[in-house]
Amino acid sequence: MGLELTLVTPRKKIVTDLPVKNVKVPGFRGELDILEGHAALVTTLSTGVLEYKEFGTEKVGHAAISWGYVEVIDDKVTILAETAETAEEIDLKRANIALEGARERMKNTQDLLREQRKFERAQARIEAAQTRKH
Amino acid sequence: MANLKDLRAKISSTKKTQQTTRAMKMVSAAKLRRAQDSVVNARPYALKLRSFIQKLASCPEVSHPLLDSSPIKGKTLLLVLTSDRGLCGGFNSGINKYTVQYASQKSKNDFDVIFLGKRGADFFRKRDFPTIDEIHGLAKTISFDVAQEISERVLKSYLGGEYSEVRIIYNEFKSAISQEVIDERLLPVSLEGGSNEDYTSTDFIFEPSIQSMLDELLRKHFAIQVFRCLQESVASEHGARMSAMENATKNAGEMISSLTLNYNKLRQAKITTELIEITSGAEAL
Repeated sequence: MGLELTLVTPRKKIVTDLPVKNVKVPGFRGELDILEGHAALVTTLSTGVLEYKEFGTEKVGHAAISWGYVEVIDDKVTILAETAETAEEIDLKRANIALEGARERMKNTQDLLREQRKFERAQARIEAAQTRKH
Repeated sequence: MANLKDLRAKISSTKKTQQTTRAMKMVSAAKLRRAQDSVVNARPYALKLRSFIQKLASCPEVSHPLLDSSPIKGKTLLLVLTSDRGLCGGFNSGINKYTVQYASQKSKNDFDVIFLGKRGADFFRKRDFPTIDEIHGLAKTISFDVAQEISERVLKSYLGGEYSEVRIIYNEFKSAISQEVIDERLLPVSLEGGSNEDYTSTDFIFEPSIQSMLDELLRKHFAIQVFRCLQESVASEHGARMSAMENATKNAGEMISSLTLNYNKLRQAKITTELIEITSGAEAL
């Protein structure tokens, strides 16, 4: 049966109870590949790309997420992300602009952490958007 | 008795008012739809987050200042949510009335107020209220960032021990034509109701520690609560404005028809008198 994936953000529900084969998430301590029969787990997520393979159709979905939580219990994966954008919705051009902007601002800013987070977010968006092509 | 020219001017001005109110109604209806969608979209996240916290908090080894619901001793911080603009029926006055009533039961040193929205702030400015801040311009962009900014500020003063309770007064979105004034406690977080599952039954892996995770989650939860209230309030505002404008349009229509009736009566009376004058003039010859 595989896993059931639910991905929600404050803005919208992206997927609910979608049967998937695996979910790759950017975990607190590096990338985490969750498969069927995973031990019960609760962890924080960092900014990065989420990847899942749909059950049956083998379709691979990507989404750029920033900071959130994942809960794995009885083969149910629930992800609460602050923001999540699927690869299809990302505007690559804008992401590139955001990346450059953040890189520039990081050189002289009071709030380095904030710019760093923006930079990471833009990076994740670009990475997710690039998966579309191949 | 008004003459024909006055009546004509009045009819045309009422028609113009009606046009404006009708346009405002349309705009509000469109905005309401958007706001309503975002209220609905935010719900699953809030529910999931809540059940997360509930489960974490039920673990015996955790405790957190935001969860501590010992009896209230210190000051209360009141967030009062109104709109920036008027012409929306009883939307703002309902909130203001409730706040006045709330304040009359307490002494002035017991609470501080932050007004979100211009209308509430304007109303209470003359009333000698313990206002500490006003935040305007919420309706245009209800982004999560705004909610987070507000919540971080409130959290800071709460955790600093300035307040022992945070309440919010806002209009809950019931339907497009009705909203209800809600007085809700935001802090300390109460976790009553909901599921009874917890993380103690299964052997869970927590990364990082359960305590630091709970801390982050509670902060997030609070921001989400603020965000939700903002959204509800904005949706209610558009709903209230829509029905207020709908009524205004209807009333304008009634006024126009009664004015037109008057106008026609007057016109006819005038013609009749003219005719009588002509015939009696002819008879006299």
